[in-house]
Amino acid sequence: MFFLQLALSGLAQGAIYALVALSMCVVYRATTVVNFGHGDLVMAGAFVTYLLVVLAGLPFPVSAVLAVALLFVLGLAIEVGLIERIKAGPHIGFALMCIAVGYLLRGIARGVWGREVLPMPRVFDFPPVILGDLVVTADALVIFFVVGVLLMLFFGLFYRTSAGRIMQAVCQSERGAALVGINVRTFHGVMWGVGAALGAVGGVLIAPLTLLHPGLGASFLIKGFAAMTLGGFGSLGGAVAGGLLLGLAEQWIGGYVSTKLIDIAAYLVIILVLALRPQGLFGRTVAERV
Amino acid sequence: MNRQPEPGAAAHWAGGTRVFYAVPLLALAIPLFANPYTQFVVNLMLVYVLVAVGFNLVLGNLGQLAFANTALFGIGAYTAAMLMVHAGWPFWAAIIPAGIAGAAAGFLASVTALRGIRNYYLAIVTLAFGELLRWTYIHGEVATGGTDGLAVPRADFLGIVLDSETARFYVFLLIVVVMVKAISNLLQSKVGRAIVAIRDNELATASLAIPTGRYIVLAFMLSGFVVGVAGSLFAVLLGQVVPESFGLIELILHFAMVLVGGLGSLFGSVLGAVALTALPEFFRGFPGLYEMFFGGLLIVFLLIQPRGLSALCAKAWPGLRDRYFRDR
Repeated sequence: MFFLQLALSGLAQGAIYALVALSMCVVYRATTVVNFGHGDLVMAGAFVTYLLVVLAGLPFPVSAVLAVALLFVLGLAIEVGLIERIKAGPHIGFALMCIAVGYLLRGIARGVWGREVLPMPRVFDFPPVILGDLVVTADALVIFFVVGVLLMLFFGLFYRTSAGRIMQAVCQSERGAALVGINVRTFHGVMWGVGAALGAVGGVLIAPLTLLHPGLGASFLIKGFAAMTLGGFGSLGGAVAGGLLLGLAEQWIGGYVSTKLIDIAAYLVIILVLALRPQGLFGRTVAERV
Repeated sequence: MNRQPEPGAAAHWAGGTRVFYAVPLLALAIPLFANPYTQFVVNLMLVYVLVAVGFNLVLGNLGQLAFANTALFGIGAYTAAMLMVHAGWPFWAAIIPAGIAGAAAGFLASVTALRGIRNYYLAIVTLAFGELLRWTYIHGEVATGGTDGLAVPRADFLGIVLDSETARFYVFLLIVVVMVKAISNLLQSKVGRAIVAIRDNELATASLAIPTGRYIVLAFMLSGFVVGVAGSLFAVLLGQVVPESFGLIELILHFAMVLVGGLGSLFGSVLGAVALTALPEFFRGFPGLYEMFFGGLLIVFLLIQPRGLSALCAKAWPGLRDRYFRDR
């Protein structure tokens, strides 16, 4: 029973990691830029929600939607205003730009927020569901519902609609897509927006569960990377599976070995995967020849 | 890449930079008109010169994003402090082991990453590695003193007791000059050219029968050695080693020094370190301003002057031109 209870909370955590990893993967696949400031976008989503709920007094669902919309615009603005301008330069420039933006956001959050660690007021006040010996908290139910719906929407769009086929086309070959008349530049901006918005949903979902602080982004970044590495770098489905597995692994390690290890489970996952199966669970090996 | 510079340019290069030998000689006079606080800041600049020069090897010359620099810095500091506190070693004997520990960490961080997609995994593994180490500092109480850290005992260097900022200054200056000159020579050797060639095109470099994987690991190890030595100086300068000194807040300063100075330029890294060392002190009272400032500074430089201050200086003084950089 203890095992299953841990699995349940692991899946709830893992669902959020899955969302964050998926959002990083979307940006990477669409633009080949790995956003090293992505964790701070997740933090910003949680932070904006907090501000709207506590300071502006708006109800949680309204704040959540506003926060996600705002982060979409922010993601778009970062791509169009900053990344696109240095596209001609070396690849390390984009990475440094992402890091710089991440630090800037963290600084703004710290400036407004101060040094305190703040609890978000409880949002979902309905009682937990009890199944035999298992207790399913309301938070977990909301997370499963929201993440499930979003994932179905995203994968449905990506694989079943013509807009999705356009996305797949640009992911495969930018030049080819541009040749058949797809506006690649707009596409890149929109995909940054989508990535930031998806990440922000992760932040909004985590906000009521944990204490909020500006440093939240760094741990999300590493967890997102761990999930992506586990699932196979660049595989969208793999990122989701990796996130869920990481959540489970964290809870089981915490429950059976030591809670101190929860913090470093993600790092250990990255190093173990690279040592044992570098292509990840669902990744394909890329032959590299010289 | 491995094209030969025109003979005229090479002669110009050597002549143009010989002036640099005057810099440490002039610096010898600094203690004459510095009060203890400014002398402390100057000493800190020397430490950061090594930090930036070491980081630049990976970030600028190898062109590889890495997050482990604060970890390497921390390993150097902790190794020196632990050898001095627990084993009773004198400071001078702990400097080289601190560098070796940094090099070993650079080796570990880069070797694992070579198995995945290089560009990204090198960055990701170094990120994980840095945080993992900080976790170790906090939870390894017996050896590292946990969150309270370690108090570093009074240091001496071959008989000179380093109890004043001035004494520390001369010893630090000697170490920094020797190491910067060594790196400068190395960058102009076969090794340095191979590292820069990997930055410009790894596949083309490999097709010239240069073992790229080995040079990537070597660059990380060299960087680790230099930054590890910087860590040991940092430990002695501050008199204590605590985990917070080696977190993400510190990392942005390292990034900023290398980028503001000029990616890939040794002169630039020295310049960047000297220019930025004193700044964090001004932001102490305002939470968040530090991150905002350095984040903003990086954005401005990436957009307007991506080749850093050294490229600006090179316009006025062509001898400083980066021979290995080609405009794309």
